[in-house]
Amino acid sequence: MGRFKSILGYTSAVLTFFIVLATFLGLNYFSAKLVSVTGIKVSPRFTGGEVVKIVDHKTYTTLIHRPVFDGIIGERKDGFIQIIWERRDGWPQVIEEKIDYNGDNVEDFFIHIETKTGKAMLTAYNPSVTGIEQTYVIKTGYAARILLKR
Amino acid sequence: MQGFLLGLSNGLVCVAYCAPVLVPYMLGEGRGVSQNISLTAQFLSGRLLGYLVFGVIAWGINKTILEALGCRELIIGGAYIVLSVSLIIYSFFNVRTSCAAEHINRYFNKVKVLSPSLLPVIMGFATGLNFCPPFLLAVTNAAALDGLLQSLLFFFMFFLGTSLFFIPVPLIGMLRGFSALNTIGKIAAGLIGIYYFYSGIFLIFGGIKKI
Amino acid sequence: MTNKTKGVEFPTPVSLKKTLLLALPMMLFTFMMLSAGKMPTDTNKIISLAVTFIFVNTIFFLMLYREKTDKYRAILFISYAVCFVISFISNLIEIRGSMAISQENLLLCKTPFCHIVIPMTIIPLALSKTIIFPGTMIGSFASIASMLIIWIGASLALGRGFCGWVCFFGGLDDGFSRIFRKPMIKHINPKWHYLPFAVLLVTALTSAMLLTPTYCEWLCPYKTVTEYVEVTSIKILIQTIIFVALFLGLVIILPMLTKKRTQCGLFCPFGAFQSFTNKINPFEIRINQVTCVKCKQCIRICPVFSITEETLNTGKTRFTCIKCGKCVDACPKGAICFHVKGTPLTGNADTFRLLFLYPAFLFLVTMAGSNIQDAIIRIIRLITTGSMF
Repeated sequence: MGRFKSILGYTSAVLTFFIVLATFLGLNYFSAKLVSVTGIKVSPRFTGGEVVKIVDHKTYTTLIHRPVFDGIIGERKDGFIQIIWERRDGWPQVIEEKIDYNGDNVEDFFIHIETKTGKAMLTAYNPSVTGIEQTYVIKTGYAARILLKR
Repeated sequence: MQGFLLGLSNGLVCVAYCAPVLVPYMLGEGRGVSQNISLTAQFLSGRLLGYLVFGVIAWGINKTILEALGCRELIIGGAYIVLSVSLIIYSFFNVRTSCAAEHINRYFNKVKVLSPSLLPVIMGFATGLNFCPPFLLAVTNAAALDGLLQSLLFFFMFFLGTSLFFIPVPLIGMLRGFSALNTIGKIAAGLIGIYYFYSGIFLIFGGIKKI
Repeated sequence: MTNKTKGVEFPTPVSLKKTLLLALPMMLFTFMMLSAGKMPTDTNKIISLAVTFIFVNTIFFLMLYREKTDKYRAILFISYAVCFVISFISNLIEIRGSMAISQENLLLCKTPFCHIVIPMTIIPLALSKTIIFPGTMIGSFASIASMLIIWIGASLALGRGFCGWVCFFGGLDDGFSRIFRKPMIKHINPKWHYLPFAVLLVTALTSAMLLTPTYCEWLCPYKTVTEYVEVTSIKILIQTIIFVALFLGLVIILPMLTKKRTQCGLFCPFGAFQSFTNKINPFEIRINQVTCVKCKQCIRICPVFSITEETLNTGKTRFTCIKCGKCVDACPKGAICFHVKGTPLTGNADTFRLLFLYPAFLFLVTMAGSNIQDAIIRIIRLITTGSMF
């Protein structure tokens, strides 16, 4: 038993060197494999979730993400929806848009954005819409996260 | 989830103070592991009952006192600040709040004679009534919730979180390296206290803004 | 090399020839890792590769020849940390003009992933298969998946030796702890040794509760020398004050006063988490109870409080040992050595040490290599053009 443990010990010690080599030489392969096998991804609370609707305007495009209520198990009662306004040719001074985020053909809120200053004002029609969490001036345009409640 | 995690972070402290009183008492009979597991299960059910009683009390506080006074954020924020300071002191200094079971120890013998099978349940109920700062914070947190069901669920999850640390008790009697876990639990409770202190301040500012 | 006299082993000088033979494989592997398989064509890059190659292999040679582990490890480890800071900050300023993470970077998930986040992501990862960090999964600098693979590899190979040989922040703490010759604060209440575990418990739980990495947001002192969220609110201002204060206290002042790695040993939740990987790692530090004279020099010198009187009596260290080799070098009787679990304690200590040094040093060189080379290039650029960028 002692001899067996000894062999096992020395073998695992030598193997550590090869583990180091494999870690770095196979880094790209193992990283891709880790993601594909486990299916792990960045939390939608950070990515904003998938884009579910694209609305084309003349000078900009509105990307509406899905409502994010993702919790650690199931969903939480507080969430948000991420909207991105991407600049095209030209960029209006003011963006005013009524957004239907849940696809029921009824507008849920109205947003007014001054693109130069980044200031935004929200008028909620749906009681689930509770306010603006954060606005972002980004290189490609403008983004906002609107707070929702279930 | 909040209740479970609050219980988990404070569970070590709960076990540290209640287990040394109860474990020798419970296991003094010299029973086997399977009987100890049964004893612990009964003990935990008594504990759950104690917590659920407080879930109802917390909801009652919300419906009566808090709604009557109106400024919930100010009261809950204030409670958070007071309790979090006491939790920090409790954690970082050698202040010992005794387990409630210690004080009603003498009644256990009477119960043992009258109804021996109820003894572990009653002992569990007694430990559930321990007014230590983590428990009081749980009451405050639950009082901030709207419904009775939410309050009960919060305490159920708090119970689950604290009870995880009682699971090894019937197997090894006392946790090995108990003093290390005790210290970690106390420091963790103090850090949670800092988080509640910060939450309390922001709640108070939010309440002042509304006024 | 050792010779046995009356059952006790004393070190004898290592021959130059043997040292060169042992160092040769490391030269080949380090060249492979530093060059990433292709020779650079740019003059600055050739110079930096050559300088780095000579530097790291000189360190390894001296480690073998002089039979001192920590002294030479520390030189490379501290250089690595300093070069990492130079390289990282310079890259940030080049790309976005500032060390501050803009709200856009957070929104678009372009934040580099650091190993310290790992303990905070475990509970949400296990329950929801998502990473609560605004980074990229694969394909970018310090992507989440690549850092996870590096962490897994290091955990299997080195255990908590990660903190002594891999962590790009540890060298800062280590460096400041070596400035003064003697400690000014000699005694720290042993209860503080459990603080990292309490921080781990609280940050892991609160991260799961709030679905955000709370240690990174509120407590990480290393944001002072890497990147931080731009101050746009009172909350972020409070967070900034906290992490700067922690950096000054735990990374600079306390290490100088105590000669210990106080951030690593008294606060870092990743270190506490990584301690558990020592249980599955084949390497450990052992103390020979026959030759030990209980002078307690090892207890005084351990940078992360991993040797206590209790553990000394059992001939082992606590599971928080970072395998830096400081106690091995410091022991006046040569009673402390690296050891491979499962093998007899009377085995050859030099063999055990070599078996550990090869993977540990190679890991360190691979992690440090690109940062050291980049820092050298920037310094050359600064000297020749007056600008690092």
